[in-house]
Amino acid sequence: MTSGSENKRSQNIPVAKRKRSLKSRLQWFADHVRNHWQIYLMLLPTIVWFMVFLYKPMYGLQIAFKDYSIFRGVANSPWVGWEHFQALFSNDQFIRAVSNTIKISALNLLFGFPAPIILALMFNEILHATYKRTAQTIVYLPHFISSVIIAGIVITAFSPSVGIVNTILGWFGIDSIYFLTKPEWFRPIFVGTGIWQEAGFGSIVFLAAIAGVSPSLYESAVVDGASRWQMMWRITLPSILPTIIIMLIIRIGNIMEVSFELIILLYQPATYSTADVVNTFVFRQGLQNGQYDFAAAAGLFNAVVAFVLVMIANTLARRYSRTSLW
Amino acid sequence: MQKLLLTTVIAAGMVTAMPAIANDSLKIVEGDPLELTIQMNHARYPVYEESWPVEQQAREWTNVHLKDVTVGANIRNDENSGKTEALNLMLATGKIPDIVGSSRIKDFVNQYGPEGAFMPLNDLIEEHAPNMKKFFDEKPEIKSAVSAADGNMYYIPYLPDGKYGRAFWIRTDWLNKLGLDMPETFEDYEKVLRAFKTQDPNGNGEADEVPYFARQWPELIRLVTLWDGRSSGSDTYHDFMVQDGKIQHPYAGEGYREGIKNLARWYDEGLIDAEIFTRGSSARDFLLSENLGGSTHDWFASTSGYNRLSSEIDGFEFKAMAPPASISGKRVEEHRRIPIKPDGWAIGGTNKHPVETIKYFDFWFTEEGRRLANFGVEGMHYDMVDGKAIFKQEFLDAGPVNRSLYQVGSQLQGRGYFQDYGYEIQWSNEFALEGIKLYDEGDYLIDQFLGVAFNADEQKVYDRHWGSVRDYMLERQQSWVLGNGDVEAEWDDYTAQLDKLGLSKVIDVMNSAYARQYSQ
Repeated sequence: MTSGSENKRSQNIPVAKRKRSLKSRLQWFADHVRNHWQIYLMLLPTIVWFMVFLYKPMYGLQIAFKDYSIFRGVANSPWVGWEHFQALFSNDQFIRAVSNTIKISALNLLFGFPAPIILALMFNEILHATYKRTAQTIVYLPHFISSVIIAGIVITAFSPSVGIVNTILGWFGIDSIYFLTKPEWFRPIFVGTGIWQEAGFGSIVFLAAIAGVSPSLYESAVVDGASRWQMMWRITLPSILPTIIIMLIIRIGNIMEVSFELIILLYQPATYSTADVVNTFVFRQGLQNGQYDFAAAAGLFNAVVAFVLVMIANTLARRYSRTSLW
Repeated sequence: MQKLLLTTVIAAGMVTAMPAIANDSLKIVEGDPLELTIQMNHARYPVYEESWPVEQQAREWTNVHLKDVTVGANIRNDENSGKTEALNLMLATGKIPDIVGSSRIKDFVNQYGPEGAFMPLNDLIEEHAPNMKKFFDEKPEIKSAVSAADGNMYYIPYLPDGKYGRAFWIRTDWLNKLGLDMPETFEDYEKVLRAFKTQDPNGNGEADEVPYFARQWPELIRLVTLWDGRSSGSDTYHDFMVQDGKIQHPYAGEGYREGIKNLARWYDEGLIDAEIFTRGSSARDFLLSENLGGSTHDWFASTSGYNRLSSEIDGFEFKAMAPPASISGKRVEEHRRIPIKPDGWAIGGTNKHPVETIKYFDFWFTEEGRRLANFGVEGMHYDMVDGKAIFKQEFLDAGPVNRSLYQVGSQLQGRGYFQDYGYEIQWSNEFALEGIKLYDEGDYLIDQFLGVAFNADEQKVYDRHWGSVRDYMLERQQSWVLGNGDVEAEWDDYTAQLDKLGLSKVIDVMNSAYARQYSQ
């Protein structure tokens, strides 16, 4: 423990001087941490989490370039260079999985991204407080149900014999359809399920942003004789645009990460042609067939694509809207 | 064996409450009990329980005590991929227990054994395991079937007894009601299924009957045998098969193509459960108890049990039916119990007591050990009557006998032992026994492919291509049956794509491994 007066003194050193040498900069940082240790302590769990669950596993990424044997371990397996990547790109199923991932994500972005925004705007227009709160609770609920249960509900709802969907179609004289074995139906069902499950919960962040819009803007708009529609269009939406853009960038970063637990629960060999995504491919080839090295190569490729997408999205956002993640 | 028999005779001559005298011959270590660690995760039980009466008896006799250290225990009993995952997880921890028992252990030990993770057992058996040696010498095919590419045995298999597994089952009361005969050919079978669909045998006024159903959807593909196709070469679904001394895949054959074409037609007509691909393991229970299911292909013992429904459904009778004659007049039952399972146990490469461990493995091939592995503990679960182990009545009444046995530590797939069919016959009901007799008279079973062991290069080719090939096969298979595609129009594309994905390479390595393993 050093004395407090010394800390104070070092803090008062002007910026230009502080940058003078590495040693003094380190000294400044150490003092800074000492003075604000409570804040750094709060940061610590997150850093530990990143280290343990994201940085440490990166060591294992090297097996994408090795002939990995679990018994020999990561370090002792021989290098094979790009062999797994070559095999990956000569595999039609992998190419198809990449294409399916992008298609499903594009649909998710197109329909799934605006859904919570629209929902938030709609909630914002509800004036009756109790009704609003009840409606919000109802749409949040599916988020808290596990994927396994969701899949069970979907399988039952779309069953050709007892499913509610086919029962309703039956009222209109339409023959029942075995939805979950039809490749053309997989994506709509999957994306629709995702929206049903997550739109309500996703709207929370936009509702918070709307709550932050200054009431004076609305008051002056009312004075100017603006309609509710105009206020939503001209005030609410532009005000929450930064939030929307940040959410969009995060979303684009996750474009290669469709929620594959639900896909695994819902797909069948019959629907592989539209349902098989990179992560399910990795699961089947890597975990079920025990090809960890090959699967790691697929996962690494996935991560690189996601990284590039985030960079592009962030750059575009910074250039056109001055809002960006960094 | 002679000596052992003698010990048993002597033991039987003594008062049964005095087992100590017979036991000394089984004792493996003197003094303090030897403790060995064990990983045991298999389809019937997820871990090894030290409290099992069978373990306690074995401990008392052998003075070897197994301690459970199972990682990645997987309690699902309807699939085997989770068992391999548990083994991989165990290996990834870097600590291999003294004994490792599992379902689907064969490929695992044959891959990692030569790298040093497991001990080769040949010399140990030769020198220290007289009972196993005698058994394997009498049945040389076991050694060929379980050996790795380097010629070593790395695990002691679980060896099922009895031949019959699955059979065709049909609602005979529905047949009588509609005035139909037991189907003799595939054409008869189709007519019967159609009658089930259209003539309302359950009498509720609705065409809600499900003529053919199955708990596992590959049992639908099994029906391609009616058109001389094959669905698998072994008791594992979608497996390779041996034809004219060469390995082939059933899903690339002409009979399969013809079969799928017809099954698509059956499906379209409603003769097959519309939800066969998604209904899952409760299909049999649900469709039979709701009086909807007409016919299936399932296990003798468990399926015959559904005749208890006759107390709820008037006239209910579900009987085994001989396989209908195929398009060329052959009657074939493709499924049978495989004589050598890829399940069993192995000795970890770091085990400090290999000799004691192999002696312990050998104990389960002694007469006492085998009875313990099959029937549980004498006096507790069974009694000896005229030299035969007969289950106690209260044990038989306590519920499904196989499940009760798993819970006391008998009939474990993760243990290398020779099953005694006598255990199952005691609780098979009259319908199962009648069905087995029918199948015995007809002699419908065919030989099975017992698997091959790859060397490292072959393994690489297999790993690289087989997953993709299999995925593609199953994808096309379901599409064709569901009518999303046309097998006739797409067949040439299909075979071309299989070749592109590497099926011929997989077949080549299969054949080279097969020739090495079975030609001696």
